This record gives sequence, structure tokens and C-alpha cells, in this order.
Amino acid sequence: MNIASARQAVSGASIRISRLEKRFGAVSAVDGVDIDIAAGEFIALLGPSGSGKTTILMSVAGFEFPTSGSIHVDSEDLTYVPSNKRNLGMVFQNYTLFPHMSILDNVAFPLKMRGLEKAERHARAEAALETVRLGGYGKRRPNELSGGQQQRVALARAIVYRPRVLLMDEPLSALDKNLREDMQLEIKRLHAELGITVIFVTHDQSEALTMADRIAVLKDGRIQQIGPARELYERPANLFTAGFIGEMNFVDVTVERATDAVAVRLPWGETWSLPASAVVEPVRAGESAVLAVRPERLQFGAGTAPVVKVTLSDIVYAGSALLLIGRLADGTEMRARIAGASDVGHLAPGDIASFSVPMEALLLYRGRD
Amino acid sequence: MKPVRSDFWHSDGHRLSGLSTLFLLAPFFAVIAFVFIYPIVQLLVISVTEPHPTLDNYARVVGNPVYARVLARTLWTATLVTALSVILGFPVAYYMSRARGAVAALVAVCVILPLWSSVLVRTAAWSILFQRNGLINSALMGLGLTSQPFKLLYTQSAVVIAMTHVLLPFMILPIYGALRSIPNDYTRAAAVLGATRWRTFIEVILPLSLPGVVSGSLLVFLTALGFFITPALLGSPQEMMVSTLVSQQIREVLDWPFAAALVGVLTLFVTLLAVIFSKTLRFDRLMGAAS
Repeated sequence: MNIASARQAVSGASIRISRLEKRFGAVSAVDGVDIDIAAGEFIALLGPSGSGKTTILMSVAGFEFPTSGSIHVDSEDLTYVPSNKRNLGMVFQNYTLFPHMSILDNVAFPLKMRGLEKAERHARAEAALETVRLGGYGKRRPNELSGGQQQRVALARAIVYRPRVLLMDEPLSALDKNLREDMQLEIKRLHAELGITVIFVTHDQSEALTMADRIAVLKDGRIQQIGPARELYERPANLFTAGFIGEMNFVDVTVERATDAVAVRLPWGETWSLPASAVVEPVRAGESAVLAVRPERLQFGAGTAPVVKVTLSDIVYAGSALLLIGRLADGTEMRARIAGASDVGHLAPGDIASFSVPMEALLLYRGRD
Repeated sequence: MKPVRSDFWHSDGHRLSGLSTLFLLAPFFAVIAFVFIYPIVQLLVISVTEPHPTLDNYARVVGNPVYARVLARTLWTATLVTALSVILGFPVAYYMSRARGAVAALVAVCVILPLWSSVLVRTAAWSILFQRNGLINSALMGLGLTSQPFKLLYTQSAVVIAMTHVLLPFMILPIYGALRSIPNDYTRAAAVLGATRWRTFIEVILPLSLPGVVSGSLLVFLTALGFFITPALLGSPQEMMVSTLVSQQIREVLDWPFAAALVGVLTLFVTLLAVIFSKTLRFDRLMGAAS
């Protein structure tokens, strides 16, 4: 069988995770998670450590059985099926190539477990090594390969039996930065070629944003938000996601009016009327709320839009961007990111700078309690 | 990894200077040279120089069928004890490596505790069990399995059983160490790739634990070759092992040169075995990528 037809034979499976719960004693690692993953979708589980993202992956892989809830792959209930009967591909953080086997035997291992003849499994393992551009490396031992090569072998081993789902547990976190970017492209390419469904666990948000079709942001075992990168970045659903994804300025405000158009009073006494699009979470008059805006949405200098005045503390030139860090009158830190070529030569720490705030860039959340 | 920096470790950060290495190792080598190398060399010298420069002593060891049989019996006993230790020890080591908490502690104590009592005590305990009207024979007769007590004490079987018991921890601990060093993710990887628990064990766990099995076997086999107390107390005088024969030659027959030649043959054998193992089994290669 040639490689091209092998690739066409593979397509992803859909996955439905319903009301998944996992408790370890009194601790809830996963607390009622629902995720519907379409066939062929690339989904990232993103969250700080202890957010439950790894436990979800372990439950899909069959290394952990959930306390309650279910996991369906293509409408087949796999919740309590042992790992070796699930037919899923998996890549681990530490490569987990078997050190006593050659590269070829490592890649052929899952085929051996499926009872294939030696000649066929070696041919298919060699083909899989070609797909990760490591053809001819079969005779070597894992310890003779670099970390990046080892992870590509692990990738080949995970796809050689054409699973319909590929699970990846922080597969790039042991690699250095350049290799990591290479591998991101490699994984994206394989995903496109094979049409396989991918669940990718990471704590690196830029990795999640660049690679995944959709990202599930997790905290304390619950999903905070699930959506495509653009939606997560442009309209985070709550304060946690707003602060976790990218950089964000937060200003504590008081809600003056919540009927018709929402109006808020800023720390320095001004009142701003917000467009309806700014209100992410419903607020009530008299309550405290938080106004959020991305640093790159602030425009240097006073314009037609409302203006904030900031006492500068740092001016950081970073080539493509210029980062201005300062404080509002009440001490709240504000960051603005403007084009690196902007002419701000006269500005020095201690100066007061004005930024205009485009109304459509503002987001309003319920106050922190 | 960042190099450790301190005055003691000197300026290049990883390596001791030649002089301090020597200084730190000197007491150890002094003791080894004095209590081990010197007497062995003396003994080997005696074996070829007395009564006059000759290889006759060695010719007697190899040539006389009685002594050749003693050597063969010793090798066979050591092989048997090693094999039994692997068979009995591996499951215990495997269980230890998987157990958690109180159970793990209990098993570890059961394995290590006997090491804290003297070999003599453990051997004496077996001689009580093996007596004509000892626990084993009374149990067998009580159950009606036999009407006559078996002759257990002063047999080669008694020696093998007791030596296996005494040496078992030296098999269990290296295997346990090898099993513990296998990352848990290998088991998970094998499972997700389609291996049943049994296949995972055969294809992954067992091969990766082999260095532990080999070092345990070497420890047990080499110790068993020169074992003295247990064969002396539980064995039959008609079925001597090399160590008891050496002791007899030195203390009763007073034939030091011949005893020395026996020791020479044993030493040669042990050295050969150690060299063969360390050359043929490349542990570094076997375990290279596990780090």
C-alpha cells in the first residue's frame, strides 16, 4: 500500500465529552466539563497547571477513569474502555520512545501489537518515518537522536496505525524555542494531511492560539471559554480569560447606569457611555465593574475618542513595537503598545502621556469580588 | 544543567582535581589493599610456589574427580540458587515497584529486615525447621502426606533452600531499582499503542528491567560460589562445596597450597564471569535513552 492512499484512508473521528467529572478524594480535578469536538478538528486545552486539562486528556486516553460523565468517540462510548482497546494515537511530553528498541521497532510497535507481519509492519513504519521526514533513521537508537527528532519519531509511532484521534500532552514543552516552532508547523502539516482529530494540551497560550481551530480555556477543572483564537482574544468571556490570554489593561469602575446604554464612572471621575458591544457580562447600576482594553488598542495622543492620562514609568523599545508602561492617577497600571517606529522621542519616564481609547475596543466585566 | 559552584568542587565546577580525588579515595583503597588484595595475592603465590614452584596443586584440583565434582557441585548450587532467586525475587520486586504507601513500606521491611539479622541466625532457623521432627516434617505427617519423616537436614536441597532465602534480598533490591527507574509513561505509551498488560510487561518492562536482573544474578551467583556458613551447617559432609573444602584443607588437613589452588580456581572463575558480563552487556547502551 502506498503512502498517498494510506493518507486518504484516514479521517478524524468526532469526540463528545459530557459532564465529565474527576475527583481525587475531596479535590475536583475536573468539574463538569462538556466539549464537543468535530471530526478533523484541532482543539487545544489551555490552562495553568492544576486546571484539569491533563486529567481530561488522561480520561480520553483511558489512563484515568472519570468519577462521572462520559466520553464518546464517533458515538461509541469509550468512558471505561481500557487504553489498549481505544485505538487512539498519543504523543507524550517526554517522547517515551522505548530505549531498548531501534527507531524502526519503536514505530512498528503498535503494528506488532495489532498482529501485523514483520515485513508489512516494517514497510509501514518506514513510510511513517518518511512522513515525519526521518526516513532512513530506522536503524538508530532513540538516544542517538536529538529531542526534536525523538518527538517526530513519537509522532510517527502515534499515527502509523492510522488512529482517528491524536492526543498530545504538552508535546513541545521539552524542546527549545526554534525546534518548538518547527514542530508546530510539522504537527499542523500532519493534521492537514491526515485529517485526524487532535486534542492538544498546553500551558503555552501562543502555541494554542497559533495551532488550534478552537481553544478550551480551563481553570479549576471548569471550562472558562471555548472558541476560536480570534474570539478568545478579541472577546474573552470573563475576567480570567481576559487576563490569561494575551496582555490586558484592567480599570476598576462603578456602574452609573445599566438601562439603555451602560455608563460607568472612571477612577478620575469622568463618566463614559459604553456601546452595547462593550458589555460582556451583564452589570447593574451601583455595582463595581471592570473595564478592560488591550494595550495595542490604545492610541498615542489625544483624539476624538475619550482620553486617559498616564504618568509614564517605562518606555521599552522592542523593534516592531514600543511598549509604554505607566500609571493612572489612582495607581492602576496601564500599558500601551504602539508601532515601534512611532516618534515619541520627547517622552521620558515621569512625563504624562495621553492615549485615546476607541470605544469599540472596550470590554466590561462584573467586578472582582 | 548549571554546573555546581563551590570551593570544594574547584573552579571548573564538575570535576574534582586529581589530588583531592586521591585524597578522598585513599582510605578506601588502603583498606581494600590491606584486607583483600594482599591476602589474595599471598594465597595465589602460595598456590604456585609451595612446596616448590609448581602447578601441581592446580593439577590436583582439576585432575582429581572428587575435587572436580566439588567444583561442579558448587557451580550447580550457585546456578540453582540464582535461578530460584530470580523466579522468587522478580515478582516481589515487581510488586514492590508498583505498591504504594503502607503496603509498599511493609513489603520493603519484609525484604530488608532479614538483612539485619546474621546469616548464622537465619541458617540456624532453617536447621530447626528441617529437623527430623521439625515443623516441616510434622506438618507433612500431620496432613497425612507422608508417614515417614523426610531427611531434610544435611542435604543439598536444604543448602539450596536456605541459601536462596539468605541471598534473595540481593536479587530483589537491584531488580526493584531497575523497575522503579522505568518511567510510568512507558507503560501508558505501550497501553495506548495497543499493548495488553501482559504484552507491555514482555515487550517493555521485562527488557528494561534486565540490567537489574543481571546485576542481581551476578551478586547472588558470586556470593553463592563462596558461601560458607549455610553449606557448613545444613549440608552433607559427603556433598561438600568449595568453601567447606577450603576450610577443611586449611583447618584439618593443613594443606595450605592446595586450599590456595582451590581459591585460585574460584577467583579465576569469578573474575572471568564478571569480565564477560561487563563486556557483553552494554548497560549504558541499554538504558541510554531512559534518561
